[in-house]
Amino acid sequence: MSPLLSARGWGWRWNARRAHAVQGLDLEVEAGERVLLLGASGAGKSTLLAGAAGLLDGGPDGTGEAEGQLLLDGVPAHEARQLAVAAGAGRARTGLLLQDPQAQTVLARVGDDVAFGLENHAVPAERIWPRVDAALDDVGLRLPRDHPTSRLSGGQRQRLALAGVLALQPRLLLLDEPTAMLDPEGAAALRDVVAERLAATGAGLLLVEHRVDLWVDLVDRVVVLAPGGGVLADGPVGRVLAERGDELAAAGVWLPGRAAVPAGRVRPRPPGGAGEVLLSLEGVAVGRRGSGAPVLTGVDAEVRAGSFTALRGVNGAGKSTLALAVAGLVPPVSGRVRAHPALVGGLAARRRRRPWGSPPPADDPAGWAPRDLVSRVGSVFQDPRHQFVAQTVADELAVGPRRLGLVGEQVDLRVAELLERLRLDRLARANPFTLSGGEQRRLSVATALATRPRVLVLDEPTFGQDARTWAELVDLLAGLCDTGTAVVAATHDVDLCDALAGATWWVGDGRLRTEVPVSAP
Amino acid sequence: MSTTSKSSASTTAEPPARRAGVVATTVAALAVVVVAVLLWRGVAADPDNGPVAGPLVGVMTLVLGALALVGWRTAPRRSWRVVDIVVAAVLGVALGLVFTVWNLGWSPLSNALEFFPPAKGLFVGVWLLGGVVGGLVVRKPGAAVFVEVVAAVVSALIGNQWGFATVWYGLLQGLGAEVVLAVLLYRQWGAVAAVGAGIGAGVVVGVLDTTLYYPEFSTGLKLVYGAGAVVSGIVIAGLGGWALTRALARTGALAPLASGRNAQRV
Amino acid sequence: MSTGLLDPGAVRPTVLARANPVAKLAVSTLLAVVLLLSVDVVTAGTAVALELLALPLVGLGVRGLLRRSAVLLLAAVPVSVLTVLVGVDSGAVLLEAGPLSVSTGSLESGAAVGLRVVAIALPGVVLLATTDPTDLGDALAQVLRISPRFVLAALAAFRVVDVLAEEWQQLGLARRARGLGGDGLLAGVRDVAGRVFVLLVIAVRRAAVLATAMEARGFGAGERRGADRTWARPSRLRASDVLVVAGGALLAATATAAGVAAGTWQLLLT
Repeated sequence: MSPLLSARGWGWRWNARRAHAVQGLDLEVEAGERVLLLGASGAGKSTLLAGAAGLLDGGPDGTGEAEGQLLLDGVPAHEARQLAVAAGAGRARTGLLLQDPQAQTVLARVGDDVAFGLENHAVPAERIWPRVDAALDDVGLRLPRDHPTSRLSGGQRQRLALAGVLALQPRLLLLDEPTAMLDPEGAAALRDVVAERLAATGAGLLLVEHRVDLWVDLVDRVVVLAPGGGVLADGPVGRVLAERGDELAAAGVWLPGRAAVPAGRVRPRPPGGAGEVLLSLEGVAVGRRGSGAPVLTGVDAEVRAGSFTALRGVNGAGKSTLALAVAGLVPPVSGRVRAHPALVGGLAARRRRRPWGSPPPADDPAGWAPRDLVSRVGSVFQDPRHQFVAQTVADELAVGPRRLGLVGEQVDLRVAELLERLRLDRLARANPFTLSGGEQRRLSVATALATRPRVLVLDEPTFGQDARTWAELVDLLAGLCDTGTAVVAATHDVDLCDALAGATWWVGDGRLRTEVPVSAP
Repeated sequence: MSTTSKSSASTTAEPPARRAGVVATTVAALAVVVVAVLLWRGVAADPDNGPVAGPLVGVMTLVLGALALVGWRTAPRRSWRVVDIVVAAVLGVALGLVFTVWNLGWSPLSNALEFFPPAKGLFVGVWLLGGVVGGLVVRKPGAAVFVEVVAAVVSALIGNQWGFATVWYGLLQGLGAEVVLAVLLYRQWGAVAAVGAGIGAGVVVGVLDTTLYYPEFSTGLKLVYGAGAVVSGIVIAGLGGWALTRALARTGALAPLASGRNAQRV
Repeated sequence: MSTGLLDPGAVRPTVLARANPVAKLAVSTLLAVVLLLSVDVVTAGTAVALELLALPLVGLGVRGLLRRSAVLLLAAVPVSVLTVLVGVDSGAVLLEAGPLSVSTGSLESGAAVGLRVVAIALPGVVLLATTDPTDLGDALAQVLRISPRFVLAALAAFRVVDVLAEEWQQLGLARRARGLGGDGLLAGVRDVAGRVFVLLVIAVRRAAVLATAMEARGFGAGERRGADRTWARPSRLRASDVLVVAGGALLAATATAAGVAAGTWQLLLT
């Protein structure tokens, strides 16, 4: 019997890319096998999944160039996809689940979204709805068919996308970092559903995932792709992870039982921080914009120089909203965020002008003019792209210093220093949007540091990052705290909190609870 | 003007659709002739317009219509791929949000210009971006119409002061840009094509606004308004849309599309 | 997880509200075309009056309708006032100040233009308020036979509206976080242009992912092989839909007849 998936000297080069994403790949996956695909960023793991899903079609109007063969049951993968549709039985050989839950919802109602794939596969209308209900039930989404997809959480959306894939009864599930953008609860729930469905259907699995620890019990074979093309290692999980552990860790793979931070790099931080108070929150209430109703009330807390504060709690509890208030980007609904003299410094009367009433007090960060804000409080958004405003990496770093009134050499000096510190010098002339996820994250942190703020507020800085970028970020933030910068991070990342060992602000039930570690490690 | 109304039906270019394509082209050609004759007679009927105006308008309509038809029939006839369609649709949605932002800004702006109403034409260009950017980014016959229509639908669905009429505006504005791209035989995608498409859309919006909202203006005021709309189409939609498309290409986002395929390799 | 920008509101299921979206679309198109033919106060006024009379059939409460249509006045009122002041004068001149003048003729045209804008827009308000975009898409693809690939891509793109609207807000905050923005018109224009650009970059990237997800579920794979997709939600025209269209035609005919009878109806461009 021929293997379900077989690559023979297969390669793919995307349009507008010089290098091949995959080259000279020889790989066979039998039916029912569960394979974990590992490899450094840029080794072509996602490209292989797209190829297996039958989505890569070369030719004059295609998205790239193919070489060699990629076969599903002996048929070229992109033809196999079309044959499955033409067969009209509503059975696909492969089913692909991508990383971003937001980007995979097709229709407005839960039931319609699951039915979408069945309709495309020309399943007769009367046979569609029973299969939709079964698929929703399989992934544990017990919602009415007409439930709006816009009201689902990230984890629910990802399970909905999985239901849409499972409804087509694929023999090989292709999962492309399915939990990278979910909170820990959502990630665990998805993993459990996948495990349960694999057991029930006997389908195979081809998984790309940095967080090996979460999935390691589910797979029985690991394939490591080499960055230049081809396979670096292939075999049972335990053996490959043991033999190739160091290499994989260096490539940014999260391995079970291995600390991501180089030992000795992180020093214990004085709990609460011994530094002076920079910002204090006094009876602050914050609410989502537009709706007006506060999600969080009565917040009293302070931010001290050189401290690390983790802002934690479930999604929707108001972490990000509170972070925006601390960062001086959105005024609180009530109460006030007060900047102390150590932070305000010699701020002159240049404040955000208001066409009505008196000017805001000088100690209200939300009332500061943007250029006054950035030299005092820096912000790093969850999506780095939101903060990009220039055409090259170097220009991007120069924006902040220029806004502060620096010119010529002073700007160049700061830019050069940051480029080196964050390993971006090779990319100085690249367009920020063309960088990889990890590079974009480093750049967005660098832009905030360019104006040398005394408070740095970050929203989910480690979200979706590989272990290498993660370790670099931890290192950088620790260094900042050591030099007196106060760091506040809204995060789900338990490892980050452990590594930096600061105070934790727990958000939940509309309240904030402060927790200072009993003893620093 | 109606040459491209069969946008989706005839772009998929399957063999069975070829006959339908011929029929559609014939109907469109007839429509061009009818519109040209009507315009000729309509313009000539007004004694203020002088003896040459009628024939001039009529012949120009015929020539442009014929050129657009040739462009449509000879367009590089590769069908739309899924990624083209979805990018066009999402681009339309994003521009629909931009329209919405502009709709909100329009009322105060419009009130501020109350002292010389025809000057309002200078600010319609933002609503014409869909046709230009859509055409330049997706580079498929019908893209300008599709993107502009989706943008208009989003603007109407979110709610604005013009209601469903927005959708008709979107369709016709998109057609205005599309005709110019067709006249250029779907082979020009640079600044010239962008400005041309902006002019096409500007002319349409000038005619529509003066017919629907300002029918009682004097001919002079209507012409001033129309000229303002065209200038706005050139500057905001044409040059602005061209600059936007180029900047987009530099980010690598357009790599899956025809407009990004030959971008600098990274 | 709040209500989406495009989520339809609550609607009583009346004959009109439940009519096939294509029928509603036909009615609003028909009314728009017929009303465009002439600018006169009698035709437009009759149309508005009849449309208001038909409202109980629509299933929208009076308040719901007011909320949705109040914004129309933003367009209709300035247009009327403008026409009164700058429009071509006829009849007795009542007021004159520089280039502005008010005459009985321009007053009448002002009323006509304003009423016409409302008359054309009202059926559209009803269409948008009582129609779910998914149902409209189903009807466009199945009844009007518009290419399902385009219709479904547009529907899928509508899912992105809320995400992009949120991104738009984030982009504003992010620019402040970069020290940009400030007072003045020029800063404002640059600010908006910068946000538009990043919004488009994010939109195109997101679209590419969405296209991948849709293709992976078989979207667009059948068309070239002659295998049509099926529809889980069949949409077809029923007898009641014919009634709705007939009603719309009757409304348009009555309004035009009233205008002709009153002698005010005059074909545009003649």
